[in-house]
Amino acid sequence: MWYHRPAINEELLQSLPNLKVVASSGVGIDHLDLKLISSYGVKVSYTPFAVSTDTADMGMALLLASARRLVEGHEMAVSPDTEYFPADWLGVEVSGATLGILGMGTIGYKVAERAKAFEMKILYHNRNQRKKEEESAVGAVYCKKIDDLLQQSDFVLLAVTLTPQTHKLIGKRELELMKPTATLINISRGLVVDQDALVEALQNKVIKAAALDVTYPEPLPRDHPLLKLKNVIITPHIGSATKKTRWVMMAEMAESIEAGLAGLPVPREVL
Amino acid sequence: IGKKVQAIYLWWHKPVINKELLQSLPNLKVIANSGVGMDHLDLKLVASFGVKMANAPHAVSSSTADTGMALLLASARRLVEVHNISISPSMEKYCEVDILGVKVTGATLGIIGMGSIGYKIALRAKAFEMNILYHNRTRRKVQEEQAVGATYCKKIDSLLQQADFVMLVVSLTPQTHKLIGKRELELMKPTATLINISRGAVVDQEALLTALQTGVIRAAALDVTSPEPLPRDHPLLKLKNVIITPHLGIKTDKATYMITEEAVENILAALNGLPLPSEVLPS
Repeated sequence: MWYHRPAINEELLQSLPNLKVVASSGVGIDHLDLKLISSYGVKVSYTPFAVSTDTADMGMALLLASARRLVEGHEMAVSPDTEYFPADWLGVEVSGATLGILGMGTIGYKVAERAKAFEMKILYHNRNQRKKEEESAVGAVYCKKIDDLLQQSDFVLLAVTLTPQTHKLIGKRELELMKPTATLINISRGLVVDQDALVEALQNKVIKAAALDVTYPEPLPRDHPLLKLKNVIITPHIGSATKKTRWVMMAEMAESIEAGLAGLPVPREVL
Repeated sequence: IGKKVQAIYLWWHKPVINKELLQSLPNLKVIANSGVGMDHLDLKLVASFGVKMANAPHAVSSSTADTGMALLLASARRLVEVHNISISPSMEKYCEVDILGVKVTGATLGIIGMGSIGYKIALRAKAFEMNILYHNRTRRKVQEEQAVGATYCKKIDSLLQQADFVMLVVSLTPQTHKLIGKRELELMKPTATLINISRGAVVDQEALLTALQTGVIRAAALDVTSPEPLPRDHPLLKLKNVIITPHLGIKTDKATYMITEEAVENILAALNGLPLPSEVLPS
């Protein structure tokens, strides 16, 4: 399955009596009712590691583009109305700034590795604290309380999986804890953010900007306020969208399917 | 008023320093530039009036390196293109295959000009597990190369042929003027991206336009052009595979503050007859 399609519901499962395996693309499995699928004796596989570096790269791309106002800048550079570039047009410095990573799994950690090279100060919040050597390698400081991270960060990056616990993890309260000069970057799932609260926070300058590779729904309705805000960059869920990675994902999915059909152990099975 | 002026802090190439201006300011002692590039100044002319010059080399390096990486990533992942699709009022149906980008992690980056800024780019690119090649007037020390895993390419051709991303970080001199022309673009891979954070004149702009239009290279991301801004009917403005930014290399709150601090240091030193921290002499 690709991008959550087709929807694997009871109807579909009942109509496919010989279905043996569902190979899902990417690392997210929030769109799958695992118990339901398992009850039909169908195995599920995913591609957890193929997407990690591209998604981490995307997180950094969004962080840099937002901080340095790349999209706005490009528009100014190509606009038919531009006569000169104003001298007082400024972005925000990335080097030496503080990055708060929410969700320090494979992807979160790779973001930390990249951010370290920009001399960023790294804070992170995770279900579990990472090992000391892992923390030292990227200079990351654990924040047991999410509030501490939110209050200190210039950039807050969401890299969690979507679960009932992370649903609307970032709401009005969390946005108000953030600095008014801070930027929110979301490369996890749209539902991790209370989107209405985000719109309000951006409109009222509670936070400075947002860069979102994911929204809810995808795509947003064409009249959604997020589409009109100058301080928002939105990309169409392209975290893993490079030729090389898509090729690897396809190969992994085919491998899992072949194993499933042959009755062999399924590589990258979701249990 | 002209007799009172002892120092000029040059912000964004203004005022223009020509013979007229220098003659009207008999007590001018120093010109401090906001940035590191000095190609807009006639160094010999200024020196002939006994006026010292300084730039701000330290404040700019991190911000400019960040800009280089921002442009590299934005171009590779087609950020501007897909953002426009995401916010477009019409639900443009697009084929996923049409918006696939190029993988950055593990790709080869060729840095042309390995000064302070070029080196900071190498440090950043290393964290993306990029394979780094560089070309420079002089080779860096072995430890410096090893720290970033950079391989020296004595011949620029070798770098151009291997790189997935070519980043220009040279100062503009008579030697680097039109450094990248038709020949160099044709040596690059058809899947390669050119990123320019140096000066517009380092690239033969007409040759670049042709190369982009005919698929000789994949894309370009330019923070600098000739002139700035480009005329509104310039073909570069319309190409889908080009990102242009308004020379924002050092335009951050922090860098602006640091540049001004450096300039003031230099001005005070000159006015007090002390050595300038970052004096620039005509070569």
